[in-house]
Amino acid sequence: MDFLADFFIRFLVQFQSPTLGFLIGGMLIAALGSKLKIPNPIYQFVVFMLLMKIGLNGGIEIREANLFAMALPAFFSILIGLAIVRVGIAIFGLLPGVNSADGFATAGLFGAVSASTLAVAIVMLEEEAIAFEAWAPALYPFMDIPALILAIVMANIHMKKEENGGGEVDVNVWGIVKESLRGSALSALLLGLALGLFTNSGSVLESFYEPLFRGFLSILMLIMGMEAYDRIKELRSVAHWYAIYAGFAPLLHGLIAFGLGYIAHLLVGFSPGGVIILSVIASSNSDISGPPTLRAGIPSANPSSYIGASTSVGTPVAIAVAIPLFIALAQIVFDI
Amino acid sequence: MTYHKAKKVVIIAEKMLSEKICRIIDASGARGYTVVPAGGRGAHHKHYTSERASVVDDFATVRIEVVVNNKTTAEEIGNQVVEQCFDKYSGIVYLEDVEVLRPGKFGGK
Repeated sequence: MDFLADFFIRFLVQFQSPTLGFLIGGMLIAALGSKLKIPNPIYQFVVFMLLMKIGLNGGIEIREANLFAMALPAFFSILIGLAIVRVGIAIFGLLPGVNSADGFATAGLFGAVSASTLAVAIVMLEEEAIAFEAWAPALYPFMDIPALILAIVMANIHMKKEENGGGEVDVNVWGIVKESLRGSALSALLLGLALGLFTNSGSVLESFYEPLFRGFLSILMLIMGMEAYDRIKELRSVAHWYAIYAGFAPLLHGLIAFGLGYIAHLLVGFSPGGVIILSVIASSNSDISGPPTLRAGIPSANPSSYIGASTSVGTPVAIAVAIPLFIALAQIVFDI
Repeated sequence: MTYHKAKKVVIIAEKMLSEKICRIIDASGARGYTVVPAGGRGAHHKHYTSERASVVDDFATVRIEVVVNNKTTAEEIGNQVVEQCFDKYSGIVYLEDVEVLRPGKFGGK
């Protein structure tokens, strides 16, 4: 009961956090038909700023880190990404009225990782003064890329079987890896990591990226809120199962990651903050680089179903419910 | 100056297809093309223009225009685009009669 009461209080407090406030505010003004528009180049710049800051910060701190300790969490990240897709495809296979291609794509998107959710988690951990390994955000591609590849490979095997009873499946795995690494969010994160690691970028981080981080995050949340409301309309036109899946899957995926993160904590001393980051990236669903990759890899899937499920339900649930849930859970499990 | 008859192919497609479509145009012998951001409403859903942030930018649409000197090349570009791109993705192709100055600037086999 203590846990529930604690979680509930934390949950209410999160609704006063500016981050979540901007998300809800965005939904509200979109619902009211506001003419406020935030242009696309600003959105792309904001994403760049956030990921560059996370990368620089990670790169600077990785210098002193024991990279050997990263191997197990990285391996678990791959495992979680693959498991989410397998479980998602199994769930959609059981549901009536779900187009199989849409199911594969939705499972892939929920296995992939959201850069904005990761940014929110980092801010909330800093607010709670919970320490995490600087390399923890770099677990992102380890989960993201395998999930996208598995979803696209499984979808193509399935389509080939339906068409002509099997045969060779031609999926360009290297092409998917390249597309993912070149995606705007991931390339900013990786560039930041490299710059932080190899250059003396401490001053530019402190004087420019760090002070602007929260402000830019609030703009990103506003955009995500407006987009979430707009996508609900599209989600209405597809099966309701997507909305139900998008509501509970983030929590399930986060719990799987929390369990594996706890094992890594026991075996290699993975920090509680790192476990929270791992859980949050597992519960997040890709919003920037995943959709175009899936659109190219599974063309027969209807984007309204998977993007609607992710943007209008999955991401708000991951930010508003999953992050406070896993922070509260970690505080109780690790007694911090 | 004299104006010469030529054909314009207009293709409206998802932005993520533009690279592939431009390769088809290059292979046809055309000497260039114009790509502009598009927006509006299609059979599937509303496509936004860049005046507003869209989380998934690659689903925005573009309008690709290419002018060639003869009808055969224009039709061939249209056919190739439909065959290679529009079996799985949505988009439209249409031809227009245009009159151009300096026909040497427009290719076509």
